[in-house]
Amino acid sequence: MISKKICMLGSFSVGKTALVARYVHSIFSDKYLSTVGVKISKKNVSSGGKDFSLILWDLEGKDLYADVNLSYLRGAMGFFTVADGTRKETLEAALELRKAAHDTVGQIPGYLLINKEDLSDAWEVTDAMLDNLTRQGIKYFRTSAKTGLAVEEAFTSLARDMLQNA
Amino acid sequence: MTADSTTVPEHSAGMSDDVSAVSAGTAFWGDIPEKPTDGELVQLRNLLFRREIVLLERLRELQDDQRYTARKISEVLAEAIQLRAGKDPLVGLALEPVVDDVVRTLLRKRRGDFVDSLFPLMGPSIRKSIAETFRSMLGSFSKSMEMAFSWKGLRWRFEAMRSGRPFSEIVMLNTLVYRVEQIFFTHGETGIPLAHVASDEVYAQDAEMVSSMFTAIQDFVRSCFAGGGEGDLESLQLGEYTIIIEKKSQAYLACVVRGTPPVAFREQLHATLDFLLLEYADALAEFSGDTAPFAGAAPYLGDCLSSRYVDDDKKLPWWSKALPVLLILVLACGLGYCSYRENLHAQLRQALMEKQKAFTATMESALNVLRAEPGLLVTNVVSGHDAPWEATVLKDALADTPEAVLQVHGIDPKLFSFKSVPYISYDPEIVARRAKTDITLPDTVTMDFDGKGTLSFKGTASMGWIVKTRDEARSLPGVERVDISGLRDPMMDRISALIKEVEATVVEFVLGKDTPVPQDAPKLQKAVDSLVELEKIVQDMGFTVTLTVYGHADATGTEKRNYEISQARTRTVAAMLYARGSAMPIAMYGMGAVYPKDGQPAAPAQNSGQGDQASRRVELRVHVMRSAAADPESLLLSQP
Repeated sequence: MISKKICMLGSFSVGKTALVARYVHSIFSDKYLSTVGVKISKKNVSSGGKDFSLILWDLEGKDLYADVNLSYLRGAMGFFTVADGTRKETLEAALELRKAAHDTVGQIPGYLLINKEDLSDAWEVTDAMLDNLTRQGIKYFRTSAKTGLAVEEAFTSLARDMLQNA
Repeated sequence: MTADSTTVPEHSAGMSDDVSAVSAGTAFWGDIPEKPTDGELVQLRNLLFRREIVLLERLRELQDDQRYTARKISEVLAEAIQLRAGKDPLVGLALEPVVDDVVRTLLRKRRGDFVDSLFPLMGPSIRKSIAETFRSMLGSFSKSMEMAFSWKGLRWRFEAMRSGRPFSEIVMLNTLVYRVEQIFFTHGETGIPLAHVASDEVYAQDAEMVSSMFTAIQDFVRSCFAGGGEGDLESLQLGEYTIIIEKKSQAYLACVVRGTPPVAFREQLHATLDFLLLEYADALAEFSGDTAPFAGAAPYLGDCLSSRYVDDDKKLPWWSKALPVLLILVLACGLGYCSYRENLHAQLRQALMEKQKAFTATMESALNVLRAEPGLLVTNVVSGHDAPWEATVLKDALADTPEAVLQVHGIDPKLFSFKSVPYISYDPEIVARRAKTDITLPDTVTMDFDGKGTLSFKGTASMGWIVKTRDEARSLPGVERVDISGLRDPMMDRISALIKEVEATVVEFVLGKDTPVPQDAPKLQKAVDSLVELEKIVQDMGFTVTLTVYGHADATGTEKRNYEISQARTRTVAAMLYARGSAMPIAMYGMGAVYPKDGQPAAPAQNSGQGDQASRRVELRVHVMRSAAADPESLLLSQP
């Protein structure tokens, strides 16, 4: 059996746990529970004729006072940095975390997820910012854990990249 | 091993290329200049180092000589292996594929030898294995017995009932010292479990998630309390569970233990982890999420799944060990006894049934004997398992008693209790018996009953007896007809003869007189004698004889005179009879001349004066009758 460790990074309350719950259990809850430390989930997937399991490390959110414990990243074969589209500072934090992750574990596949697409009216993240990301070669997905938009696609895409990387 | 083996040929090849050169391209010879460039220098070298060069040349030759090398290595090989084996298990691992191949080849080629060698070992092995199995079975049986019957067992059962937990769990909690339930061999960085084993009794959660969580916890604790620096989390404690972590840089072992493991357990873990890291060094270095190369690690982990329970064998009384055997014995004896009893019962039942059958058969045959007996009629039988049976029997007075009948046939009459009801049987034998009983036969008479209702007599007897017996026989039940045609009375013959004689007598009379002609007087006398005798005979028999005398006259004379004279002639006969003392009633008819002798009355013209003597006559007719006092019915013995 092949197992791949994936980490979810991002500021607090951007929806990391919600994205994992949507992906793994296909459920969504409005109830907010702050993750302390790390929460681990698992999803068996099949890609390119191979079965493997994704071990999802849902790390606690970064806030002003607490940095993300990057030691959790050790051994990760892929990661997501998650931002909240309605709070543009989370996008900045996500980009910082992305850099930190690459510094820690090297050049492994890592995508940016800009979550809460269902609240697109209230988005602070502008198209200009997104264009900027594209220019920098940062691959991103506009997701919604609530509606499930692009969630499956993002995970599948990362899994594929990880397999190619391996 | 692979790396080593490839190095050796390269080494030797390098040497052989430079056979002519003093300095070969090896590490050993490396410091020596490869080729002299100057002839003088060569000369100088030869002068200075002639001896050494020759020596070196010899050494090189020896080095090239593989046999020499082999000999040299063989001298130290055993010590070398011993030294290395003491350090780490790599020698064993290196030899494993070789030995594996050798054994396989040998097995293929010399199967017979292996069979011969293994054969003497197999018997004891199998015996030992069976004995071991039995021992453990008996052990667990004893344990169960103890659990089931001891005070402790009851207490635990009550505890289980009270707490609602399964009994087995309570027993385990009370007896368990420790039990290693799960072991995770986990990749240090990713937290992905490379191998995982769990004890059979426990429910194992998803190994990948648990393993990742263990990793995360270690990361968390390290970052929080050790500032991300040195030091590892060695154990976690939660109630009765301890998670022991044995960690090295690349991987760690996490063991979930219930209870308190012995100190030696950690040493065992340490050694196992070392071994695994060595064994899977390459796989670990190249690990990218595929756990397949680590499949072989599980058995090594399995060795660590140990457990220990409270050994309270010593507290058990001596008999508790024998108890199971005893119980089995008792059970076997019980079963054996039950089966024996059952068998015995079956036999007894069979015997009883046969006895009953025989008894019933005896009774039935006895009843059949009774049914065949004439004059007995079995009408009702109350049967039972035992004698006596109650039987209602209709019995003719002339039949034998049922008891006597049974006795005659050799059957115990006490088998029945008879209730006898009298009846008259028409059974031929009984009818015959009845005739014999009721009718007294004189010696001269035989009687026979034909079975169809006819009773016949043969022989000679007096008429009185014949008539009486005929009447009696007719009244006998079962007799429909009485045949007395075979009976004869000798006296009757005489009577008939006398009657015939009398009636044949014709006495002619003298013309105009009532005296018989002289030649007929003795005839008349004789007839009177016969009548007297007849009268005497029939009187003895209870009969009465009556005489009728017909007197006739011839045509001579007047009709009146003829009637008078014919009348007078009858009186002559009566007078003679009475004179002889006879009391017989006599009817006298004077017929006149109406019935001449030849039937034709003579014409008066033809009367010659002498008349017709043959017509002047008397004729006698005799009637024998039953005496009026005895029976009014007359018995005609002869036709009038």
